[in-house]
Formats: sequence, structure tokens, C-alpha cells
Amino acid sequence: MAPVAPRSGDAIFASVERVNAELFTLTYGAIVRQLLTDLEEVEEVNKQLDQMGYNIGIRLIDEFLAKSNVARCVDFKETAEVIAKVGFKMFLGVTASVSNWDADGTCCSIVLEDNPLVDFVELPDTCQGLYYCNVLSGVIRGALEMVSMKTEVTWVRDMLRGDDAFELQVKLLKQVPEEYPYKDDE
Amino acid sequence: MQFFGGSEISPSPPAPTASGNNAHMMYVFNRNGVCLLYREWNRPLHTLNAQQDHKLMFGLLFSLKSLTAKMDPTNAERGNLGVPQLPGQGCSFHSFRTNTYKLSFMESPSGIKIILVTHPRTGDLRESLKYIYNLYVDYVAKNPLYTPGTPIRCELFNTNLDQYVRSIA
Amino acid sequence: MGREVSESCVDSLLTEMVSSYCDRFYANKPDLAARRIEAIGFQVGLQLSERYTMERPRFSDHLEAIKFICKDFWSELFKKQIDNLKTNHRGTFVLQDNRFRWLARMSVDPSPENGDLSQDNPPAENKAAQATSMHLYFPCGIIRGALSNLGIPCAVTADISNLPACSFVVRIKA
Repeated sequence: MAPVAPRSGDAIFASVERVNAELFTLTYGAIVRQLLTDLEEVEEVNKQLDQMGYNIGIRLIDEFLAKSNVARCVDFKETAEVIAKVGFKMFLGVTASVSNWDADGTCCSIVLEDNPLVDFVELPDTCQGLYYCNVLSGVIRGALEMVSMKTEVTWVRDMLRGDDAFELQVKLLKQVPEEYPYKDDE
Repeated sequence: MQFFGGSEISPSPPAPTASGNNAHMMYVFNRNGVCLLYREWNRPLHTLNAQQDHKLMFGLLFSLKSLTAKMDPTNAERGNLGVPQLPGQGCSFHSFRTNTYKLSFMESPSGIKIILVTHPRTGDLRESLKYIYNLYVDYVAKNPLYTPGTPIRCELFNTNLDQYVRSIA
Repeated sequence: MGREVSESCVDSLLTEMVSSYCDRFYANKPDLAARRIEAIGFQVGLQLSERYTMERPRFSDHLEAIKFICKDFWSELFKKQIDNLKTNHRGTFVLQDNRFRWLARMSVDPSPENGDLSQDNPPAENKAAQATSMHLYFPCGIIRGALSNLGIPCAVTADISNLPACSFVVRIKA
């Protein structure tokens, strides 16, 4: 049996159940709004959005792997490409690109020019400091952690802050191998 | 009927051995070695309590993976025996057969391990294991009431799994 | 057809929103968590209904508005209509979706925990029922928000006594 090639993001997006993006966008917006009311501090909202994203990433990784036929995520460079090309496409219907690799291949940027999370969004002045799309950085961090990659994900550019694109910097901190979880004398 | 570790009697009676009932039992482990699911359809003999049984199965996989990678003649870069690996790293085995049973194994890059023990004459089950992984995605990972990393108690998953497993030849 | 995203985006966002409110922000205050989740739904319903009725004449009565929710509004959200609408003609409407998508994958094991065969386990069952009900405040909020945008103040509850069907009971405030 020859190894199955990963499926393209377009092919998967065409085959999965899809919903009206307005529902998604407005739901996310309503959540951010409610968090701002309940948590008061913008910093705390950023933190909670990231945490929510992390938890989502932990759940979504298996759907991503099962539907994309990706058999291994050992190489960080390959993995970053697959997330950008296949992951963003199959869930959000948009393609991201990878750039700005550092010399040792452990840090890169994922750039998103079209982002359904921010359709109809304008941030009021009271939201200074808010990383509105912070859920995305959390999703990437959570999903990568499930494939053994501890990463740090930070925003470099944000269209809601006047930049020309969304850019996330993904830095690989370490790869965590699988340890035998039991003690011998147990 | 009296089994060892009698507290683990599965609520449904063992399936009769007939054609279409080739599966004995199945395990799902996560990357931390937690047994998320143990399901049995036809297992007349229990010799260990459930925890020991799960631990032994996980240990078997762990050691076998380590050994198969160590013996890989095609790969120059391999660690010493017992050196931890990343899921998907190096080579891995997908089944072994004894005179009394066949064990089929798949591991996702996220470390989800699915082990299906069947009649020794069952064919290649790699596609079946993938299908079961998809059931796991649909009815466990996407079940809003399921907390990742905890034992699976999802009726819909069990129903769909039982139905599918009955079709395995 | 407008822009689309994978259904999993919405599903996983809702799962996480509910668990954040129930298990983290208001872990020991289910009533508060429920109110916040309903409020998020209300906001979404309000905005969606606003968008979907922009080019539409005002509804002549409550029944017309409810029918709009059952047909057009539900179709936008779930690609299907409400399956059954009942009313007592005194301001109460029951909207039944025979296979409500957001509940389709929800399941727990009804059998007692490991070998605990000697006695029933009502606390676990109640916990599961409560967890399930937490996921219904959002759609209830959506319906209330949508109707509120149409000038109809109401209260909305959900009944899931025969899953995966779900009935939303709308009581219009006089």
C-alpha cells in the first residue's frame, strides 16, 4: 500500500459540511463583546481568547489529520506549510501563506490576507490593545502541541490595527517526544 | 459467569462467534498512554484486571514500535533502543498475527492509537482503522459533551463503532 | 450563496464558548453562565435577523414573524426549516426541529460507571442533562434576539425530551 498523499485544502473544503460564514463571524463577535463586558480588562480578554483557541485547537487537530490524510508531522517546515495551505482552507475557506523563515527553520510567519473572523468588524477606541483574532493564535498553538510541537505564537500584523494583512509569528520552542508514561515498578 | 476483575463486565453480552463477528476487542489510547476506550465483542478469556490489561497493551505497542524502528535497515538516523520517538517518526508496524489472533494498529500524528484485535485470518485493516479514527473524530472529538483526554463515554460512538465492526471481514 | 466556513468552526466555537462560561468563568454559578450564554445568542439573533429582514416589508402579525423564523431564518442557519410549528393561539408557539444540528453529535453513555451495577447513578445523569441544557441557551437566545429585532418581546425555552429532536417554546410577552 503506497502512502496516501495529503488531500488539498480545496478538495476537503468542498467535501465538508459548510455553514453561512455570517453566523460564525457574528457569533465570534458576540463572544468577544460579552468577554469584554464580563472580564473588563482587555489583557484578560486577549488571554481568554487565546485559551479558548488553544482548547479548540486540541479538538480540531484530529479532524484536520483525519480529513487531510496527513500521516506525520515531524518536520516543522512541512507542518507549517500544511497548516497554512490545508488547515486554514479546510476550516475557514481561505488560504494563508508561509514566509519569513529564520536561518535554522524554527520560526516563520503565517500570513492571512482574507480573514472571515473580521468581516463587518470595526474596533471602537475603547478596545485599544485588544487582539481581536487571538483565538486563531491559540488554535495554532493548541493544534501544534498535539503533534508534539511546543510553540509560541504572536501577532506581527493586524488589519484591525491598520496593517495590510494578518501575520502570525510561529516559533518552535521544542519538540516533545512520547515518553513511556508508566513507572516500571507500578 | 465469573471473570477475573469482575467489576469490568461489559454491559452487553459477548457477541456470538459467527461470520461478520471477527473482532475480539479494541483499545484507544491517547499520547499520554491514557486508555480512552476499551471495547470488547468477543473475549472469552480475561486473565488480568482491566488496568493491568491496558498497561500491558500500551507497553507492548511502545516496545514494539521502538524495536521496529531500531531494526529499520533503511534509516541511518535512529536512536538507541527505548529512546523516545515522536508519533509518526521513523518506521512503524501496522499489524502482527499470531496463530490465535491478529492485532492491527494505527497511530495518528496527534498520538491517538487505535488497536483492533481480530480473528487471525482477517485481512488488511488499515482502511478500517482509518474509518474508526474518523468515527472518533465525528462522535468523540466533535461531541460537545466530551472533554479531551478523558475516557470516552459516548453512546453515539459506541453504536456506530459496534455497527461498523460487525461489517469487518 | 454568500461566504461559507466549515461547520466545525461554528461547532467548536460554540462548544468552547459554553465550556469556558460553565467550567471556567462561572464554574459554580450555572445560572450566571446560562444568562451570559443566552446573551451571546441574543446578540447574534438580533444581528442576523436585522440582516435577513433588511429588504422585507414589516410582518403583519406574530404568526407571520414566527413563520419567518421557521422558514427563512432557520434555513439560513441550518439549511433546513423547522419541521413542525404549533400554537395555542394565545401567544405560545412551539417550534420543533426533528434533528437539531447542534445536538446531533451530543451523547453520553447512559450506562452506569465501571461495574457500578448495583445502584443507579442519578448524579452523573443529572450532570449530563445539565451539561446538555447549557448548550441550549445559545439557540434560545438567537430566537429571542431575532424576534426582539422584529419588535416581539418574548421568552424562549427548549425541550429535548426526545433527542435528537428539539422543541423551542416561544412565549410572547403581552
